Amino acid sequence: MKALLATVISLGLTTVVIGNAYYQKKQFYPSIVYLTNSNPSMAVMYLQAFILVLLVGKLLRKIFFGQLRPAEFEHLIERSWYAITETCLAFTVFRDDFNPKFIALFTLLLFLKAFHWLAEDRVDYMERSPVIGLLFHVRILTLLMLLAHADFYFIHHAYQFTAVKGPSVQLVFGFEYSILIIMIVNILIKYVLHAIDSRWEAPWESKAAVLLYTELAINFLKVLLYIGFVAVMVRIYTLPLFAFRPMYETMRSFKKAYNDVVLSRRAIRNMNTLYPDATPAELAAADNECIICREEMHTGAKKLPCNHIFHAACLRLWFQRQQTCPTCRLNVLRAPAPDAAAGPAGPAPPAPPLAGLAPHAAPAPPPPGPVPPPFPNMPPPPPMMAWGMPPPPPPRPASLANLTTAELQRMEGNERRNIEARLQLLREIQAMLDASVLLMQQYSTVVANLPQNNVTVSTQTETRIEELTKESPISTTQGKSEPDVVPTTSSYKQPSPVPSTSKTIVTEDTSPMQPDTTTPVDTNRDKTDVDAADELRRRRLQKFAVDK
Amino acid sequence: MAGSALRRLMAEYKQLTINPPEGIIAGPINEENFFEWEALITGPEGTCFEGGIFPAKLHFPPDYPLSPPKMEFTCEMFHPNIYADGRVCISILHAPGDDPMGYESSAERWSPVQSVEKILLSVVSMLAEPNDESGANVDAAKMWREDREQFNKIAEKLVRKTLSLE
Repeated sequence: MKALLATVISLGLTTVVIGNAYYQKKQFYPSIVYLTNSNPSMAVMYLQAFILVLLVGKLLRKIFFGQLRPAEFEHLIERSWYAITETCLAFTVFRDDFNPKFIALFTLLLFLKAFHWLAEDRVDYMERSPVIGLLFHVRILTLLMLLAHADFYFIHHAYQFTAVKGPSVQLVFGFEYSILIIMIVNILIKYVLHAIDSRWEAPWESKAAVLLYTELAINFLKVLLYIGFVAVMVRIYTLPLFAFRPMYETMRSFKKAYNDVVLSRRAIRNMNTLYPDATPAELAAADNECIICREEMHTGAKKLPCNHIFHAACLRLWFQRQQTCPTCRLNVLRAPAPDAAAGPAGPAPPAPPLAGLAPHAAPAPPPPGPVPPPFPNMPPPPPMMAWGMPPPPPPRPASLANLTTAELQRMEGNERRNIEARLQLLREIQAMLDASVLLMQQYSTVVANLPQNNVTVSTQTETRIEELTKESPISTTQGKSEPDVVPTTSSYKQPSPVPSTSKTIVTEDTSPMQPDTTTPVDTNRDKTDVDAADELRRRRLQKFAVDK
Repeated sequence: MAGSALRRLMAEYKQLTINPPEGIIAGPINEENFFEWEALITGPEGTCFEGGIFPAKLHFPPDYPLSPPKMEFTCEMFHPNIYADGRVCISILHAPGDDPMGYESSAERWSPVQSVEKILLSVVSMLAEPNDESGANVDAAKMWREDREQFNKIAEKLVRKTLSLE
């Protein structure tokens, strides 16, 4: 209604002005001269032109978009205000070539921009609209083609003009239309993706990823363009204040796109490494409905540590925002993965060489700092496993796949301190190995002597020998106290700063005298040996039970 | 296939139509736009809002259900957890991370498991039991705490208004 009134009034005013001019001058050319020289008349003419542009805009909008949705309209108005303000700022830079043609070009730019925005909004809406008819496709495609042609024409024109006549306001136009043509490319990609998606019955899972990367690339291009433009403008004219706000927005959206890509990649990596695929049996046992999208799950479902099952694609979208289970809010990064099924660890980093020494308590958060592989956590080494029995397998570090790369790195450690600590540990291990080799030798000498002493011992050999070996370190380190076993093992356990070599020396020292001292004792203390061995076995069993 | 947000909203609409919870009606205002819903909520029995029928609007974000919808009553309301302009302030409608009142634990926040039905049911229980720690409407919270009779009177007046009795 208002628009109609404005149109009528402006039309009336124009008629009056032209009629007045013609009435006064009676001829065509004099009336034109009169009109252009009279400021009030020119104001009316400008107003009329403005109204005409609006009318044409409305007509085109009707043709290409039909009725605008309220959100689209609001968006359009908001962006228009910004654009108009910035155009006015641009005028100040180029006030020297200010003339009607200049204004017309800027108006045209704004006009085309508005259609780009609308096309963008419309294509974004495709995904949310339940019905998309043929008309929609025809309209969008035609519009995109027309806009692309217009953009291209103006870029070309600006280039020619600048090449022939040197830098002028055409720089701004060339740049603005380049941005617009990038926008067209972006819209077109989105349109194609949405169109393909709408043809398919099943949800297209990689679409989101493609969109993310497109967004990133497009924004990167835009940022480059803006930086280039500002650089050129600063060299030739002055700071292009009017380009700052859009540049800032572009940079922000580039940053956002970058963050999205990073988060999405992290989510995908976590999904691939941390959570197993749900088996059909599990799917059947559960509701078989993905609670995120409320659709049935057939394939590509993932099971979280809390046993809740979701579509992998839905989970990924959610994990980009939050690393919790949608149902029970378990923090999935902290939680232990189900051990049995931790298998599919795809690109999981290889276990560090000291895997056996890694903390075996998975639920505990990773060591707070770059701590060397926590030795105290190592289960007490079964006393002298080198003897007789097959050594029990070292405790597996409860699925390294559980840890994020950062945690692994922290555990692995890159600092000098960590490496030194690790070398120290390795040296100690080497010392222990040397010691056990020596003990092996002792054992063989003892065995060689045994048949002459006592044959009945053979049943007890194993335990007795352990007893022996236990005593040998005691004899050196503790000065031959009671035949208690525990101190020895603990002395091996601690990452004692004692130089490792000294230990080997110590054990080496004992080795030659060992056969002499122990063999007699052995025969003498047959009875007590049995008791001690029983005690020992009991303790070891206890220890194993604890370890388990 | 349309976007996942649209499909989920359609599924929820279907579910709500086939199997509506008691005292709640909800659906898109216009079936061409599934992202704007309106709902009618009956005041819970045995409370000061009993008998009222309260219209509300729900706005869904394009990334629903990853982000929560917004809800506002379109009738006049006087309630500790409803802003003067009708916006509903309950924790289930807040994405984890934003906490306008600084008291909500993340356990009661939005997650994709929630749904329109759950939101509306929470609103019903919010009507029955206001949370006077959240100060969406401080006057109402104060009156609810200190002068229950006056609060009830205002509520009954609102109820009559929604029924066009006044």
